[in-house]
Amino acid sequence: MRTATGEVICRMHVVYTMAETEERTGPPVTLIDPIDMSKLDTKFREEIKSMPNGEELSACFACSTCTAACPIANIWKYKPHQLIRMMLLGMREEVLMSNEIWLCLTCYQCQERCPQKVRVTDIFFDCKNLAAEQGKVPPKVVALAKELLTKGQLYSVTADWEREDMGLEPAVPGLSVEAVKTILGSTRTKRLAGGEE
Amino acid sequence: MPVYNLYIGCSVPVNYPNYEAAMHRVAQAFDMELLYMEGVACCGSPNLRAIDHMGWVTVNARTLAIADKNGHDIVTPCNGCFGSLKDVYHLLKHDDKLRNKINQVLKKEGLEFKGTTTPRHFVETLYNDIGIEEIERKITKPLDGVGIAIHYGCHLLRPVDVTEFKPEYLKELVEVTGATVVEYPLWKQCCGATVLPVDESLGIRLARDKLKSMKEAGAVFATVVCPACGNQLDLQQLGLKESYGEEYSLPVLLYPQILGLAIGLDEQAVGLSMNRVPANPILSHLGS
Repeated sequence: MRTATGEVICRMHVVYTMAETEERTGPPVTLIDPIDMSKLDTKFREEIKSMPNGEELSACFACSTCTAACPIANIWKYKPHQLIRMMLLGMREEVLMSNEIWLCLTCYQCQERCPQKVRVTDIFFDCKNLAAEQGKVPPKVVALAKELLTKGQLYSVTADWEREDMGLEPAVPGLSVEAVKTILGSTRTKRLAGGEE
Repeated sequence: MPVYNLYIGCSVPVNYPNYEAAMHRVAQAFDMELLYMEGVACCGSPNLRAIDHMGWVTVNARTLAIADKNGHDIVTPCNGCFGSLKDVYHLLKHDDKLRNKINQVLKKEGLEFKGTTTPRHFVETLYNDIGIEEIERKITKPLDGVGIAIHYGCHLLRPVDVTEFKPEYLKELVEVTGATVVEYPLWKQCCGATVLPVDESLGIRLARDKLKSMKEAGAVFATVVCPACGNQLDLQQLGLKESYGEEYSLPVLLYPQILGLAIGLDEQAVGLSMNRVPANPILSHLGS
């Protein structure tokens, strides 16, 4: 290509790839597997909508802004906007058994940008709770739950000399782990992580 | 003298005594009284929220109710604690049914969530209660305009209707020390801490993206206001040497360390030697 003064600004090559002559063996990648209508749970959307921050679920008009905002959607099998659509369709098992809900960074970039004010990140928290109710929780998250249940916190002071070096009291002032342990001893955490006691 | 309930959380006292001490010394310089809350422990983090919503609400509602009893706002130096407390505060303020249910549980301890005190991040109290002008008056060793990238942390900024935190707060707090705030493309992006238990390599990759973006924009230092973000951006730089063979050498300071140095505290007082990537190069950027 040349400019009006004749300067060459770029050269364009047309490349014919091998792909055009290869025989197609499967359906186009843009097609997804057909949805089995008999497996849809029509009550799933109401279930989500009744949960904290789930109210706006059906306002979604599938614009995919949430997916564009997500820093890791590129590695997700189901993208955020697809998961929301799957909830509306009633694909309960696929949503609750998906790894994606656990990979969510909880960074709220999707929720912040949603033009319909769907609380996408909060809804994924709701889904994780529903999955947890069915006992589906990644093992390392169960391990954290166990820490909370048995120690009342995720981190406990071991190197108290570091605190003393900074002029702080070696033990954390006011700390009492009993209340956290008692509360979580009567909620779902106990059912998920209290089994081996 | 404003008085606050200090909710220190579980990570800061264990992993960042330098943050805790720098915060106390800065607070003291501005006549803020921080009283450690009695009888509290961990907020549970987003991990607890994910698996046990009621447990998470109850634990944090209890903390809020303890503050309502003595009437002082809560301050915390941790974005995770801030996020949990603010989320639960927002939830209980807007859901009477849930509030009544939780208050039935808290009643056994003689507590009640009223929502009369507010959970706040330490840097927000600096901005709104002390104010930039007052802070400026105390700056005796201003920084020389050196470039600092701010990592706010997701749960400080979002969801904005819950956190009510504006990025300008921290930006102005950094600028008042004499530093230049370095804008970088990934400023809103997550540090990756939350996903570590589920996919560690993804968490590490996110920290790397962030550091790369800061470095490429010309940051000489970075600042954080959260222990989890600190782990990812400071400590993780050691891990990145192994996993990616990359060395960023970007010192990461907790914000009160920067302000502390600028108001004349010495490096021991703000625990500079505890930062994982050596942070003492900041000393050569302080005025006299």
